[in-house]
Amino acid sequence: MKTPVTVLTGFLGAGKTTLMNRVLTEQHGQRIAVVENEFGEIGIDHELVINAEEEIFEMNNGCICCTVRGDLIRILGNLMKRRDRFDHILIETTGLADPGPVVQTFFVDDDIKEKLSVNAVVTLVDAKHILEHLDDSDEAKEQIAFADVILLNKCDLVDTADLDRLEARLKAMNGMARIHRTTNAEIEIPKVLDVGGFNLDHALAQDPQFLEPEYPFEWGGIFRLPAGPAEITATINPDPTMRLVVLPVAAADEDALAAARETAVRAFSERDEVAAAPSGSTLAADGALRELVLQDGPMRWTLDLPREGCYAVFTEHYPEELAMEIKAAGQTVAAAPAAAYKPDHEHDESVTSVGLEADGECDGEKLSRWLGPLVREQGTDIFRMKGVFAVRGQDKRIVFQGVHMLLDSKPGEPWGGRPRRSSLVFIGRHLDREALNRGFRACLA
Amino acid sequence: MPGLTGQPAAESYLGTTQRHVLDDYALDARWSSDGTHLAALPSQGHPAVLDATGALVAELPAHRGGNSSLAWHPSQPVLATVGQDAVLRLHAAPFGRQTREIALASGWCERVAWNPDGRRLAVTCGRRVLVLDADCGEVQATFDDHRSTVTDLAWNPSRDDQFAAVCDGGAKIWRLGKKAPCGHFDWGGASLLVTWSPDGRWLVTGDQTPSVHLYDTGRKTPLHIQGFESKVKCFAWSDRGERLATGGGSVITLWPCTGPKGPDGATPIQLAGHLGEVLAMDFFPGRPVLASGGADGLVLLWLPLQHSGPALLAKSDAEITAVRWNPHAYVMAYTTSAGEVATGTLRTKETTESQN
Repeated sequence: MKTPVTVLTGFLGAGKTTLMNRVLTEQHGQRIAVVENEFGEIGIDHELVINAEEEIFEMNNGCICCTVRGDLIRILGNLMKRRDRFDHILIETTGLADPGPVVQTFFVDDDIKEKLSVNAVVTLVDAKHILEHLDDSDEAKEQIAFADVILLNKCDLVDTADLDRLEARLKAMNGMARIHRTTNAEIEIPKVLDVGGFNLDHALAQDPQFLEPEYPFEWGGIFRLPAGPAEITATINPDPTMRLVVLPVAAADEDALAAARETAVRAFSERDEVAAAPSGSTLAADGALRELVLQDGPMRWTLDLPREGCYAVFTEHYPEELAMEIKAAGQTVAAAPAAAYKPDHEHDESVTSVGLEADGECDGEKLSRWLGPLVREQGTDIFRMKGVFAVRGQDKRIVFQGVHMLLDSKPGEPWGGRPRRSSLVFIGRHLDREALNRGFRACLA
Repeated sequence: MPGLTGQPAAESYLGTTQRHVLDDYALDARWSSDGTHLAALPSQGHPAVLDATGALVAELPAHRGGNSSLAWHPSQPVLATVGQDAVLRLHAAPFGRQTREIALASGWCERVAWNPDGRRLAVTCGRRVLVLDADCGEVQATFDDHRSTVTDLAWNPSRDDQFAAVCDGGAKIWRLGKKAPCGHFDWGGASLLVTWSPDGRWLVTGDQTPSVHLYDTGRKTPLHIQGFESKVKCFAWSDRGERLATGGGSVITLWPCTGPKGPDGATPIQLAGHLGEVLAMDFFPGRPVLASGGADGLVLLWLPLQHSGPALLAKSDAEITAVRWNPHAYVMAYTTSAGEVATGTLRTKETTESQN
């Protein structure tokens, strides 16, 4: 039985020491050793606290994926030579630390790997000040990207709307992490220590659209409209402008909507300057990107339709956000079918998470042939990977995790009579969802 | 060495053993230079001093937080211990009487070592190496020009004023009285262990990766030996430094270290017999006979130049953490991860006849 390890990260002042004190003093029935970084905010005087001077070992001439924490190898190796073993080990990193070498230590060093396993990376986020770091600090992004659990701390200092926006942004960067809102790092200790392994359902509970690709629009629908002028009306302006695309489609069904969606993605991706369309102007249903200028009070645009038929409309907001309607001959026309899309994120396009899932089994050899080159070529940008595979010929789940170029897999629970399916999550920089999805699906048996 | 008694391999060649159980995992055990005492170090709790038969003589004070290292004076029955409390303790016979306790610094002390003439002690404390006068206990020199923690050190057996510290991508060689290192072997990775050949020619490091570096201190190009199954955690030198034994998996490798090129281009001897990682080795004094201990709980005896299979010395349910020959008798001591310290006499024609 491996001893579980929790890695605690977070910028200076985020509340790491407060949380560590809670772990050491609350009655939770576990014997926990704490490895505290030497340059921590406040030294904790406790017999189970060990002071560590963070030290990076470069095992292969500077390759980032082969850097490990030498101090941890020594300290943890020593802890494992004690008869009064610990139930759990908590490792605090300095505020500016890259969590990579800490996590990689548990993949790379055979002795550590044999006796210990990373249960979770817990990242404390100062809800009041994190935005100051999130745009320009690689360390802050990496700490969030590596997290299995994010404690959004100091929530008493931030209003709910700002917290919602911050949480949405963190989810966009790391859809796998469980996010808890806290004040003074007050949280039930099991939510930090007893995190367990990867479970896609947790990610989906956080974000039901987690497995879906991101789109440059939030909504799309098909309207059946007669020839001649139609009206687009709205009364609310959530933003100064809203972009949309209108294009003719062959039918009012899901297939037509999916085909039009791809055309719309290309239109939204156009880098040419988009013509502004103030209220009162006329729009063509030509598949070109338009930018509606929104204002206070009633707004109205004319849609010039050359012939009767089906027209797909894609917008940056849900229609209800603008109280938007499309009318023909004075009558409101309902969209059918219509779909909501997971919007892409304007804030942090560099660090994202990609979730993939498929029913059925994977071919083990194909998986190896896909993942091996993938992490070799893109491992620098892939912070973490986690997944559960149903592999043909294997009765048990294959639980897989990785950090940068390092991969590890082991048998998990038997599938029993439950439907076999595979799921995995990548968190990193510049992830190409489409390419990852193609690669994953090519591994299906 | 007299011939072995020819017992079947499944039967132990080690005669009746004395056992003592330490407070915790046994990190190491060492015989005093005269062979009259054995000191054994648990990871936590009281270091123990046993007599040559394995009977307990004294339990020494534990280092707060845990023990790290012990070392006997090269010619006197004086024992040094260090631990995570950054304290150096000296104990002299008759044991039970502590002669000196020196608070050195904050942070762990990882290793303590006497210099060859026994007048100085070197102790690693984080990124520093402190050299103390063994008589008065005062720090004579501090070596702190290190970017990383010093994980091990060893004095050059052929010089009283030179030691190697493992740090900064390999090893640094320091000489007392000099402010700059007189050698820095940096291979761009990380090393963990260091040993000198008895003649002071070879400096050898065991690395974080499954590899070993051999530096011929008179030359500039190191030998980088790779291909081990796992990290090399133990070395042993034959008496005059003709052969270096390395662990690094379940197979022991013997490297010839004589001649102008040493192991470079030579074919090593491989000794396969352990079922788990080799964790401890020791050459019998003055003879090409090797004892080894492994994660499989076996203590084996090898006659590598006779190309004969291993003989069983002992078997334990726990990992073997140290094997040590008494320097003056056919007595072997070994320790285990369960805290056991066992001593026994090797069954040879000579010892068997003397018992009869």
